[in-house]
Formats: sequence, structure tokens, C-alpha cells
Amino acid sequence: MAEHDPIERLDDALEQRALDGRAAPDREIRELVGVARRLRDMPREAFRTHLRTQLREEAMASTAATAAIQLREGFHSITPYIIVPGAAQFIEFVKQAFGAEEKLRYPSPDGSSIMHAEVKVGDSMIELSDGNEQYPPRPAAIHLYLPDTDSAYQRALAAGATSLHSIEEMPYGERSGSVRDPFGNHWYIATHHGASHIPEGLRTANAYLHIVGANRLIDFLKQAFEAEEVELYREEADGPIRRAKIRLGDTILEMSEAHGPYGPMPTGLHLYVPSVDAVYERALKAGATSISAPADQPYGERGAGVKDPSGNSWFLATPLPARE
Amino acid sequence: MPRGRHLRQSQTDWAKERPLIEAAQRDPTRFGDLYDSHFDRVYAYVARRVGDRTETEDLVSDVFHQALANVRRFEWRGAPFSAWLYRIAANKIADRSERIGRERAIQPSPEIEEADQEVAHDCAKVFALVRDLPEDQRKVLELRFVEEKSTREVAEALGRSEGAIKQLQFRALESLRARIGGKHG
Repeated sequence: MAEHDPIERLDDALEQRALDGRAAPDREIRELVGVARRLRDMPREAFRTHLRTQLREEAMASTAATAAIQLREGFHSITPYIIVPGAAQFIEFVKQAFGAEEKLRYPSPDGSSIMHAEVKVGDSMIELSDGNEQYPPRPAAIHLYLPDTDSAYQRALAAGATSLHSIEEMPYGERSGSVRDPFGNHWYIATHHGASHIPEGLRTANAYLHIVGANRLIDFLKQAFEAEEVELYREEADGPIRRAKIRLGDTILEMSEAHGPYGPMPTGLHLYVPSVDAVYERALKAGATSISAPADQPYGERGAGVKDPSGNSWFLATPLPARE
Repeated sequence: MPRGRHLRQSQTDWAKERPLIEAAQRDPTRFGDLYDSHFDRVYAYVARRVGDRTETEDLVSDVFHQALANVRRFEWRGAPFSAWLYRIAANKIADRSERIGRERAIQPSPEIEEADQEVAHDCAKVFALVRDLPEDQRKVLELRFVEEKSTREVAEALGRSEGAIKQLQFRALESLRARIGGKHG
């Protein structure tokens, strides 16, 4: 009879939604109801597999942006790219003022200008070229950490720079001063008081962006390049960003909302990524405009260019495998 | 702060867990292994505190997204990886009660925290057993107890007779009981 069938009796007991097995007539049924009760908080299998897939896709996308790539000696994820009127003189200036070392120079075919050059300061590279019609001069701001601020500041002035701010002890544990070089670039020269003259996470030369729309730019950097906010400082809760540190790959980029003498200085930045194509696409989706679509370059990189919403030019690059 | 013994991890357990964590730290696409070994526990922990299924799924999803994003920052300091996940989960749960206008839940005592984690651990074992059942039995249990459908509704959803559903449910629970070892609670 149905009432005596344990299968039916179990179902009857389970139909009581409270899953209170105490009402069940025998021990076996009570135990089975007890097991069923433990299943109420069980995950749906479809949810578990869906979330797994989602996380995998997210991980794939993030590896595409930040996976380790073999960079040229001395290079990091970001290298500032300065376009100057008079690249040869600029190289002399950084040598004299900051002890930079010239690593590479490609003159134009007629020898009248420099198409591309690279200098090294401390642990950092700076790339540069002469301006032309297509790429007019575009000064930048560089936050420079050196062991002796005072002498670097003096040498910069001697090499033709003008003072923006004389040397001062800063309340945040740095001695710093700033100059504007003859080519319009700002140099914030500092010595950090700590274990090293360079603060944790930064390098000798760090690009410092003075831009309009820092909030929007940070969102863009997160979406396009999976940047990570390291530090954000505002004087008032909803006031302009006075200083932000944003990590891209292995490099921290500093920035602030343009103000006063620190007007907008859209900057050129060379950004190494594991996949130019993927990052280029993401950048456009995040609101960048294209400068150039991804293409293999004769100098051994696949490169593309985009302009971000604040007007900075990003030269995205992935080293190509050596052909030999 | 006093720490229960369950919140600490032996060197042996760490030795087992460590390769999975380091793999995920090197290459986030390997996070899937950590997910597989911790999903049930985290789910059970959140479900126990939150109750509602949709809310639980949203929170669990947030927990793992955050864990994936931050896995590189995880450092072993004696507590297992699951403790790190539970902490993310506890914060998400507290944020949520704040968001929906409730007062921020009082931080549970270490004893309650430990008890909850232990229950979550036990539940996770049962969930894993369910996953080992034949697919038709597993499906019946899910529809019946997670989605709270009646035998008739389950029969309709799976295109089988009510009698067949009742039988599957009986066999599934029997086999779970045998594997759990007769304990119930």
C-alpha cells in the first residue's frame, strides 16, 4: 500500500515545506529529511559553472593586458615620449643637468633632425624626437628622483632651465624643487628621505600628467589598460584631483588636474602590453580615438597609437619575436 | 585578537594549497583550481548568513571577482586561503546590509565566525557529494530543494512521471545519507 511505501512516505514528509522531519513516523524517513534539509543552501549548478566561466574570461582579458613580456633592456611598462624643438640640444641638457646617458639616436636621412632617440637616467628610459608637422613639439612633466636634489637643480639652471619652485623640504618626507627646461618640459626634482632616494614603487624618472579631466582619465585607464589606483588625493571630497598615482603594468603614473602654472600638458607615453591588438580595441571601446591601427613596425615591435580623453598620446607596443 | 585553531593552517595543508595559489598568482587564468576547491565553502558561508538565493549568488559572485582581482596580493600568514575568502565575504555581507539600509551588522565574535566557517566546511562536503551523484538524481535534488519545486513541478520540468521523481529523490537522499555516515542535522 502507498502509505507503507518508504518512497511515498518520504515524499509526504518532504512536502511539508518546513522540512521538519520530527513529524515523520520512522527513523529512516527522519534521517532522509534531515539530509534534505542540508540541501536548502546548496548552490545551483548552473550558477557555479557560469561564475567559473565568467572568472576565466576575466582572467584571460587581464592576462592579455598585464602578462609579463620581455622588454628591451632598461625599459618598463611605460616610457615617457617627449617631442621637443631641438632634440640634440635636449639630449645635451639632460646629460648636463641630470647625468643622463644617450643610448640610441636615429637621425633623419638628411641629418637635420632626430627621428628617434633614447636616453637613460638612473633606472629609467626617456624617449624623444624632434617635432615635425605631423608630430608637433609636446612638452612633458617628469618627476625625477635623484640622490642630490640641490646639485641637480643647480646644474639644470646652469644648463639653461628656469626655476619653477626653489628647493624646499616637503612635509611628506622629500626635498624637492622644480625647473622648466628651455624646451618647455617641467622637471620636478626630488630626493626622498628613506631607505632609498626613490620612494617605493616609483623610479628615477616618472611621467607626471597635468591634464583636464583626471577623473575621467583614471576611469579610462582602468577600462582600457586595467590600471589600478594606488593613491588619490583631493583637498575636498568632490574637489579636483590634486595628485593620483595609477599603476599600469610595472609602472606608476602620476597625475593631477591641471591648475595655475601647471596647465594641461598632454603627454606622449610608450606603453608595453602583451597584446597590442587586444589593448587597442579595448582603448577605443573605453573612449580613445585612434592615431594608428596595430601594425608590425620595422624596429621589431607591433605598435598602435591612441589618444585618450585627456589628449595624451599612447604608443602601444608589443615586442615581436626576434627574426633571425 | 584570539584565533581559533580552525582559523590557522598546518604546514602540510599549506603545502597542498600553496602550488594552486602560486599558479594563480603567476597566471590568473589558473584561478579556476582555487575556485573549484573553495566555491562550495564560500557559497555555504554566504548562504547561511544571507538566506536569500539571489542575494547569495550576487555576493558569492562579488567575492570571487574580488578574489581573482587581488589574488596576487594574498600572502600566507598562517591562515588558510579560505580564511581570506571568508573575510572578503564577511565584508561584502556587511556592505550589503549597510546598502539596503540596515544597520551595519555587528561583527560576529571569533567564536561565531569559527562556528560559521566550520558549518560552511561541512556543508561544502555535502554539496560535493551531491555533485558525485548520477546526473538525474542531482538534478532532482536541485529542483526539489534549491528551487523548492513540488514533485509534480519537477516531473513536468524533467519530462518524467511523478513516481520516477519520487524514486530518484529517495535513492539520492539514501545514498547521501550513507556517504555522510548517518549523521544529519
